[in-house]
Parts: sequence; C-alpha cells; structure tokens
Amino acid sequence: MIRRLLISCSTIVLGALLAACAGTPPQNASIEAARAAYQAIADDPYVARSGASQLRQSEQALKRAESLLKQDAETEKVEHSAYLANRYAEIAAERGHRARLQEQIATAEKRREQLSLQAESLKAERARSEARQAQTEAQRARAEAERLKSEMEALQATQTPRGMVLTLGDVLFDLDKADLKSAGLRTVERLAQFMEEYPERRVRIEGYTDSTGPDDYNLGLSERRAQAVRDALMQEGIDSSRVEVKGFGEQYPVASNDSASGRQQNRRVEIVISDEEGTINTR
Amino acid sequence: MKNTHRESARVALVLCLATILAACATPGEVPVQAKTSAESAITSAEAADARQFEPVLLNRARNKVADAQQLIAAEEFGKAERLLEQATVDAKLAAARAETAQARNAAEEIDRSIDQLRQRLNAAQP
Repeated sequence: MIRRLLISCSTIVLGALLAACAGTPPQNASIEAARAAYQAIADDPYVARSGASQLRQSEQALKRAESLLKQDAETEKVEHSAYLANRYAEIAAERGHRARLQEQIATAEKRREQLSLQAESLKAERARSEARQAQTEAQRARAEAERLKSEMEALQATQTPRGMVLTLGDVLFDLDKADLKSAGLRTVERLAQFMEEYPERRVRIEGYTDSTGPDDYNLGLSERRAQAVRDALMQEGIDSSRVEVKGFGEQYPVASNDSASGRQQNRRVEIVISDEEGTINTR
Repeated sequence: MKNTHRESARVALVLCLATILAACATPGEVPVQAKTSAESAITSAEAADARQFEPVLLNRARNKVADAQQLIAAEEFGKAERLLEQATVDAKLAAARAETAQARNAAEEIDRSIDQLRQRLNAAQP
C-alpha cells in the first residue's frame, strides 16, 4: 500500500518535472538580446519607412535562431543567427534615426529659408530707407546751398579762392575814420542775420588801406576799421569768438594806387566767411 | 580490343562520378557568395565615410574577412561563411552609423546657421 503510494507519488513528481522541462522553451541570452533589440524598433514609424527590409531580415534571423535553438543545434550556429538578428535590428534602428534627422533637416531648411528671406527683406527695407534719407539729406543740402547763395547775393558777397568774401567799400566809412556810416551798418546788420541763421559759420574781418600816408598809420587805420565792423556785429548779438580781426594796412591792393579811383578801391574792409566747419583760409 | 575500350570508358565514368561525389561530400563549398557580399559591404561602408565615423567597427568587419580567408584555406567553410556573414552586417552597420552621423552633423550645422540668422535679425530689428 505504502509502496504503491510512493511509486505513484514519485511518478507524479517525475511527470511534473518532465512536463516542466518540456514546457519551458529553451533559453539563450543572445537571442533574448536580439529579440529585445528587434521589439524596441518593430513599431517605429521611421524604421518602418526606411529600414523595413533590415527589420525583416532581423526578424527572419531571429526566427532561425529560435528554431535552431529548439532543434538543439550547435551553440555557434544559434549564436550566429542571433548575432545577425541583433545587427540587422541595429542597422534598421540607425536608418530610422537617419530618417528622423532628415525630416528635421528638411524642416530646419524651410525655417532657414524663411529667416533668410526675412533678413533679405529687412536689408532691402533698410537700404530703401537709407536711400530715402540720403535723398532727403541731399535735397536739404541743395536747398541750403540755394538759400546760402541767395543770401550771399543779397550781401553782395563774391566767391573767391579764400571762400565767400563780402567787401565793404570806402564809401561806407567816414574819411580817415573808423566809424561806419549808416549804409555800412545796414550791411553789417544783414551779415549778423546771416550769421544767426548759420551758427556754424565764422567770419574774419580784414582791413585794407591805400598806399597814401605812413605805413604805421595805415596799418592802424585798417585795424580800427576792421574792429569797428566787429563791434557792430557784436552789437547785433554775434559772439566775439566767431569773429576774427586783422589789419593789413596797404598790403594786398586790389587796384593801382596811382589813380584816385584805384586808391578808393583799395580802401576797404573784406569780410571772409568761413566754410561750414568754421575754417577760414588765411592769407 | 573493343571490349577493353568499353571497359576503360566505364572505369573513367566511375572515376569521374566518384570525384564529383567526393567533392560534394566535403563539408560545404567555398562560400564565394558570402565573401563577395562581405567585400562589397565593406566597400560601400568606406564610400559612406565609415573609415572616419566608425573605424573600429569597419576594422572588425575587415578582420573577419581576413579570418574567414584563413578558415577557407583550412577548408572550414561553414565557419568561414558565418564569419563572412557577420563581417557583412558589421560593415552595413558601420555604413548606417556613418550616414546617421553625417545627417546629425548636417542637422547641427543648419541649426547653427538658423541661430546666426535669428541673432542677426534680432540685432537688426529695433
């Protein structure tokens, strides 16, 4: 009775053990790794799009490895198939990566194109506005020059190599004196207006005489007349820093001192008007 | 005379058949196809600049081909074929990785140029 029980018991245990052995599929680490690699990418749309044939090769190699293992084939052959399955899964994965990157590149290229178009139009816009500005500037400068010219004409200034020169003739001064006559004062008033309008301009007032009389006297008279013009300008509110004074006496005659009319022409005050930077060419 | 002729012909035929059978009986054949595949995979990988991006894996593939050559000389054709198949997938993987690396570089470069453009635009806009 006990023996029969023992026998049946051991039979059950043995049977269970056998069943357990038969039920567990054979295991192999390389196959497991390959299967994991395959499953990781099996549902990746990028792999499906560009690594389909490698994915399929991986699957086939995996199946071969599994069946070789089931058939109890040489370990080397099982490992080999698993190796191939794993490699094909890796290749398929790489192709998927690349497809993803290519998609990113395409998107980025579009973006770059947009941005460079934007940059181009910005550049063009800036160039246009610069051109407009330059044009306005040029127009303004032209108008300014026109205005200056007409003002100069009003002042009866003449263009010389030293710049614009305004000449106050002898008739605007009392004989042998440095006092300006009222007509001379009107000219100085106009000059003062001009200088107020063009605050960047400066003037140099130069006195000249004829050759009659001693040099010292002539030099002194020419200086005094020039100073008289400066004083009149300052009375009109022009800053003294904008006015230079120089007496030349009988130097630089503009006509012959032999005739009365020539001497009258030589007795004069010249007002040299500076350029826009306030520079005056000296004699 | 005629008889001897027929006999020698029969002997020749038997010998010939035996040779063919003997050839078949040797363990497999020289894995010509596998070798060609491995070599062309390596060439493709080199064309894909794997020498620069995946030199280690590429060398491994080359070494496997060289080892397979020795196995072929030792008439271990099965082992040789397996090595050649592995060399093929190694080379293909090297090529795939090199191509991915190049795509990655291209993507990075374009991102850089986008950054530059954006900075220029930001600087230009008041």
